[in-house]
Amino acid sequence: MASTQEKITVYNLADLKNTSDDAIPNYLNSLKFSQSHRLTDVRLALGYAAFVVAGACFLWDYKLGFESTKYYTAAAVALYTLLNGALTLWIFYVEKGAVYEGTAPDADRTTIRITTATPSATEELRNTVLTRPFTEWFDGAGHFVAAPFQAMLASSIPVVGRLDPKRVAAAATETSSFESKYSAEILQALENAESAAEVISTATSVDAAATTTGTPAKKGGKRRKA
Amino acid sequence: MFSSLQNPRQAAAQLMNFGLILSTAFMMWKGLSVITDSPSPIVVVLSGSMEPAFQRGDLLVLWNRNLYSETNVGEIVVYNVKDKDIPIVHRVVRKFGIGPDAKLLTKGDNNLSDDTELYARGQDYLVRKDIIGSVVGFIPFVGYVTIMLSEHPWLKTAMLGIMGLVVVLQRE
Repeated sequence: MASTQEKITVYNLADLKNTSDDAIPNYLNSLKFSQSHRLTDVRLALGYAAFVVAGACFLWDYKLGFESTKYYTAAAVALYTLLNGALTLWIFYVEKGAVYEGTAPDADRTTIRITTATPSATEELRNTVLTRPFTEWFDGAGHFVAAPFQAMLASSIPVVGRLDPKRVAAAATETSSFESKYSAEILQALENAESAAEVISTATSVDAAATTTGTPAKKGGKRRKA
Repeated sequence: MFSSLQNPRQAAAQLMNFGLILSTAFMMWKGLSVITDSPSPIVVVLSGSMEPAFQRGDLLVLWNRNLYSETNVGEIVVYNVKDKDIPIVHRVVRKFGIGPDAKLLTKGDNNLSDDTELYARGQDYLVRKDIIGSVVGFIPFVGYVTIMLSEHPWLKTAMLGIMGLVVVLQRE
């Protein structure tokens, strides 16, 4: 069942989230979604512009001393503060943890944006649609398993489901036990999300108990192998 | 662990995060410089010449604007001597004249004689522009870290290296 990818530490929440986040563009781009990098590009532009300002300031300060350049330095400090402030606002109010933005290859050119968060931040997410434990798509040793992850995405985001009906069918058989737990509200929320046709957030969360109980059994075997 | 470096945008973002940590620290320092009008608004005491007021390792906060009054006798100032890199923190004990050309004489509280020995060859007094700030606040002992770092330069390299590695290898 384990894939050939490197394994991560199942206790590291950031690793779990990052690996899952990285799998989203892989999957959606393979379904011919066209990914938009607008959010990242603006963030990089703001950040590097600020860095260049600071670098220039450092250079003239180093070469010419403080006294003769202090008005330029004051201007650079102000500009840096502005750029960095803009970057912070961009990250908090525009990106809001978005990990994927893309357009579906269907007739409607449906745009989706996927936002993920780990439990501590979940309360702040307004459009949370789905909360799933990481244990659904990581095995005990920390290998990412693509199939259930993709099935989860395909079954919960309608436009993805339409492009990949095979995964939806797989999800129906695999996670039928989850269905009763999630269906009513989530389906309603999804309907709303789709009629709005742009923002779909997916909140990933970890079921700590399941993770820790699942691990030790496999860990012993791993250690002996190494 | 290194897989994130395969995506150019992600690599650029991580490099940016590291760069922004450095540049933000630098720009905060420069901001403080601009506000206090001092090229070095925070200094660390390196000698015991101002004991018992300041000990080696104390962190001093400087202010270099004469908003209300000129720099006067009794103030503790930090000054640079021509051709010497190390700023000295001592008290003004004599002042002749007023304005930017007033002649100032300094002395360490713990020293037996005044600073004429420390000044550059042929220099008998300081003027206002030799001074990079008056001490307006201090934090005891905190600066000892920088003394350690400058006396054992490899610590600096090690610290920077570790910081860089952590930022590059760990997202969030």
